Amino acid sequence: MWRRKFIVSCSIFFVSSMVMLLRAQSVPVPSLPAGPMQQKATTACTECHDAEIVLQQRLSKAAWTKEVDKMVKWGALVEEKDREPLIDYLSANFGVDRPPYQAPHSAAPTPRK
Amino acid sequence: MISRRDFVKQISGITLAASAIQPIRIWAANDKGIAIPGKDDMIVRSYRFYDLETPVEYLDTWITPAKHFFVRNHMHEPISFEAEGWSLSIGGEVERPLSLSLAELSKLEQRTVVNTLECAGNGRSFHNPKVPGVQWSRGAVGTARFRGPRLHDLLQRAGIKPAGKHVMFRGMDQVPGKVPPFIRSIPIEKALDSDTLIALMMNGEPLPKHNGFPARALVPGWIGASSCKWLTEIKVLDQEFAGNFMNPGYRLPNQPVKPGETVKPEETHPVTALGVKSIIVNPIDGALSKSRVLRIKGAAWAGEADIKSVDISTDDGATWQPAQLGEDRARYAWRLWTYEWKAPKSGDFVIQSRATDSQGRTQPLQGVWNPSGYLYNAVDQVKIHVAA
Repeated sequence: MWRRKFIVSCSIFFVSSMVMLLRAQSVPVPSLPAGPMQQKATTACTECHDAEIVLQQRLSKAAWTKEVDKMVKWGALVEEKDREPLIDYLSANFGVDRPPYQAPHSAAPTPRK
Repeated sequence: MISRRDFVKQISGITLAASAIQPIRIWAANDKGIAIPGKDDMIVRSYRFYDLETPVEYLDTWITPAKHFFVRNHMHEPISFEAEGWSLSIGGEVERPLSLSLAELSKLEQRTVVNTLECAGNGRSFHNPKVPGVQWSRGAVGTARFRGPRLHDLLQRAGIKPAGKHVMFRGMDQVPGKVPPFIRSIPIEKALDSDTLIALMMNGEPLPKHNGFPARALVPGWIGASSCKWLTEIKVLDQEFAGNFMNPGYRLPNQPVKPGETVKPEETHPVTALGVKSIIVNPIDGALSKSRVLRIKGAAWAGEADIKSVDISTDDGATWQPAQLGEDRARYAWRLWTYEWKAPKSGDFVIQSRATDSQGRTQPLQGVWNPSGYLYNAVDQVKIHVAA
């Protein structure tokens, strides 16, 4: 019996290690900035699209309000109690006065121009 | 004792946990960039789903290579890219509904149209105040040689009923959440134009998957969103398609509005043909020139109209000189242009380009602001430093 347990434990360890190794070798995807609503925003927004579409916006609170309401209509899961804090979080981090977002490039197998 | 079932359960749990982790991908922490096969050195405005912009320095050829042709996806790409089993249906207000395979479409008379395709939101990032959406700079545009049967021929085969006034395109885009599907329509007159195609080829090759394989609409001279990708259904309608991407999406105010102003949907109209526009592709903004002699290069296009002239200013718009237009031309394609210039001294310069078209339209000094940031076409400018 211990042998089977040992095999199972080894298998779990192996799979976990592979996952960790793969994660360590890759660079993490861009994430939303720290803040009280980071987790909520991540689950609500990145269910359908990447964080970078949010990172590149520079909008007023009124514009963010419209966007959040549109996205809720389109399926983003935001509880009513979280709506206002989420709008505040987005307005604070991606307001009109923030510096421009620098987008990454896709790989260039041939030398860049 | 752990049973085999428990073991499988545990492993499945791990697999599930692993799959719940964000997809693993190589991000741009090193010079290699994000791996997107078939699309080289593109500015990744969005990865999931793809919105890829061409850096302007690659827009210096009349035909844009597929690997540098921009991608604008509104949602996820189709799951399957198999041509086998795919078909294009034509229905709605027609006498004889049709369904054609790729092989059948390929056997019809084929027409080639060289077209400059531009996303309606190209240049959105230059609007002030900023508007929501993909923050394109100059490069959501490209010119390609598209080939395929005429939409006219397909509609004629199906027989348009008198009630048929608009033609709807549905693609195989995968819809996330409760997002409305990406379906658009064009008026019957444009659909019957002999240059409107169901494109199967781009630059002599089957359409790249990110650009619409196996078939896309090609509505020449109009905003890119009219040329729906991954087509699977064409439907003749008695009125404009009623859906998010026709209204409120892709509409412009009927009257000019003040920046930041909201507009009622009933006071808008669909965005159709592109405006007159030019871009400077060389030198790029912020460039340092070690020579006073420069060959300034760019491209200019005007949707359904022809480019008449491109003028260049190197003195903040005080004086303008005509650029030389390139020889390559086609009805819906851009004209490349060049301007030989010798800087009078070293220092900082602002270079501007301004196109004028056959309809008498000229690029404005400032972009015309609108709530979604469509059709930005202000005079282009780059700031450079001449150190010689």
